[in-house]
Amino acid sequence: MIEIGNLDFHYGPSQALHDITLNIAEREVTAFIGPSGCGKSTLLRCLNRMNDLIDGARISRGAIRIRGVDIHQRDVEVMELRKRVGMVFQKSNPFPKSIYENVVYGLRLQGVRDKTRLDEAVETSLRGAALWDEVKDRLHASGLSLSGGQQQRLCIARTIAIEPEVILMDEPCSALDPIATAKVEELIHQLKLRYTIVIVTHNMQQAARCSDRTAFFYLGKLIEFAPTREIFMTPSNPQTEAYVSGRFG
Amino acid sequence: MAESTPAPDFPVTKRRLRFFGLTSDELVQLFFRGNAMVSVLVLALITLFLFKEGLAFFGQNQRNLEVYRRAGLDYVDQLRQQEQDHTALNRYLLEVRMKAVADLAGPQGLSVEAVNQRLEAFDQYSIRFDDAIAPLRGLVSELSETASAIKTKFYINEDKRTEQRQLRAAGRADEAARVAVEEVDFAREIEPILASREVYLEINRGLSRELQEIAVLARAVPGVPAERMERFAGWVVQYVAGFPAIEQRLATWDHREPVSLLRSFSAFIFGRQWLTASFWQDWYGVLPLFVGSLMVSLIALSLAVPLGVGAAIYVNQIASPAEQRIIKPCIEFIAAFPSVVLGFFGIAVLGEFLRSVSGAAWLDWVPGFPLAERLNALTAGCLLGLIAVPTIFTLAEDALQNVPRSFKEASFALGATRLQTIVRVIIPTALSGIISAVLLGLGRVIGETMVVLLCAGNRIEIPDFTAGLAAFFQPVHSMTGIIAQEMGEVVRGEIHYRALFVVGIVLFFLSLTINFTAQKVLRRYRQHPI
Repeated sequence: MIEIGNLDFHYGPSQALHDITLNIAEREVTAFIGPSGCGKSTLLRCLNRMNDLIDGARISRGAIRIRGVDIHQRDVEVMELRKRVGMVFQKSNPFPKSIYENVVYGLRLQGVRDKTRLDEAVETSLRGAALWDEVKDRLHASGLSLSGGQQQRLCIARTIAIEPEVILMDEPCSALDPIATAKVEELIHQLKLRYTIVIVTHNMQQAARCSDRTAFFYLGKLIEFAPTREIFMTPSNPQTEAYVSGRFG
Repeated sequence: MAESTPAPDFPVTKRRLRFFGLTSDELVQLFFRGNAMVSVLVLALITLFLFKEGLAFFGQNQRNLEVYRRAGLDYVDQLRQQEQDHTALNRYLLEVRMKAVADLAGPQGLSVEAVNQRLEAFDQYSIRFDDAIAPLRGLVSELSETASAIKTKFYINEDKRTEQRQLRAAGRADEAARVAVEEVDFAREIEPILASREVYLEINRGLSRELQEIAVLARAVPGVPAERMERFAGWVVQYVAGFPAIEQRLATWDHREPVSLLRSFSAFIFGRQWLTASFWQDWYGVLPLFVGSLMVSLIALSLAVPLGVGAAIYVNQIASPAEQRIIKPCIEFIAAFPSVVLGFFGIAVLGEFLRSVSGAAWLDWVPGFPLAERLNALTAGCLLGLIAVPTIFTLAEDALQNVPRSFKEASFALGATRLQTIVRVIIPTALSGIISAVLLGLGRVIGETMVVLLCAGNRIEIPDFTAGLAAFFQPVHSMTGIIAQEMGEVVRGEIHYRALFVVGIVLFFLSLTINFTAQKVLRRYRQHPI
């Protein structure tokens, strides 16, 4: 569904990604792993053009196509792209608004005013993010009053409320405790049925547990991309083998 | 430990150099503590001084108002009020005449002589109305002199008494005995004034008869619009109907009636006149100054808030780094201008400019245009707005800067445009910071002295709010300005001196409230965002 072809990426003068070619399949979980600074987050942020916000960031070669459309083309409306390709961040970042308002934020941007539609969206999204039962009695409490894990699931609910096709997750569990992590991972399994998910993670067990395919990056290069089982059981590249067995990273 | 113990095996003790029994660490600590204490002490001293000098005003003002009543000035002023109400009606007649002249000479193109001829009957009517008040006017002026004389006599005596006391204190008893202090017996002195009551009633009867006749005649005066004269007649009737109440008030008027401290207080807070060094009676009412300060600040804020907050949003959220590097120092540089220089600019350039702009024909629809005065509340307000911009800009920019970057990213990731992000996330999150920036800007504006002193026009009068928006183009005076202007020429300890201190106290409380509110708003924001 997402085809990344021969992608080179620069932050100012320094090259962050070298010749990345990668195909991401629909309704699968693709994990990006690798040591810090290997470019996995950069690649992820290219997929919904969040890198546009950074001065001097640019793609120098190659292209990213989603369903055949080059998303860096001049006539691509980046706001429309981001509605289709949602994102969940490393640090949970609900707005300082109520839970309800957090979920409907994206819909309100699109000009949805109809109360029943908003109410429905809140319930479906929160159910989708496995948060409904915990917050249904206090939808108008501040989003910041939730615990860390709940906040992260609220951010997921906020993302699925605008019904994207792809959800990008940038280390979504790195700030969560093991129980909250388990809940989010469980959620990823459910979301896979409806969305294409790309997840960046530092935690190899997590990649092993929830992804279908895994890409290993090192120093801005894609070292190996294969079904997750293969990466962890029979890696073909010695660097991958060294990383997944914990010898460096 | 006694010093006789042998050297221990665990050498952790050390002899320190001591001055006055203090180690160097303790000395440094003491120095810092001293600095902190000095600032607390200075603040306490200033506050104490302000209140000590100021609060005595109310007693003095009570005395001032008491003499006003004892010497019969109060009585005379009631008659004067009646006379002035008549004058106001007379002014309306003049206005009617001016409009009639404009109508006749303008569209109908009559010559001056012809116009005067047309209005001859009206003029005679007008003269008759004016003449009606002559007896009352005579009485008022006569009584004014009497009352004024009593008051002067009283104050001369007070001065003598002070002199005597000072001589006694200096141990010169014989000289003191020679100073002739003559008690002023108000009851006796005021008799001529009270005795005039019969004369007054007689005059009043004549006046009311005459005015009633005049009112009836109003409808038949030729040469002027009947409906205006109709209105005039109504007012005259109303005026005459008020006479019995005045008579009643004067009949029960008693010079011995005490003046309460509360009256002295309310005469200051709600007094509509600030009149000093007057031959008749001094009034210390803070209202015109307070209203002036408030109006100027309002104008200043209505300029500075959009400018300051708008610039902060632009610089923080939209501008490129290169623009930021230019705009930020420029705005902050405004704060570096000494306000007297800005005031000078206000007089020489802005005042002139605003007036010439207001003269433009296409701006005729604005109330109050063209401006009658070069220096007015608007000129001062514009400059003060300029002064408040850096304060508001810097603090609002800080508040925007404190909005976590992750909010912005989250909003973009949900498909928001830059504008949507600013309006829906950034501003609401920074709102209390922005509000407190505005409040601190207000504090800066209310306390500013030089610019208002130079550019506000310094007319001590509550602007005429019946003129609507045009009130903002009238000259005003301010609380800060009056202190700066008059403090240099008052006698220490006198009532005027103390009145200025009370104005200072009012300013102090105003600033305190504003700053306190700003702090509260900010703290609230830190505890629970939005």
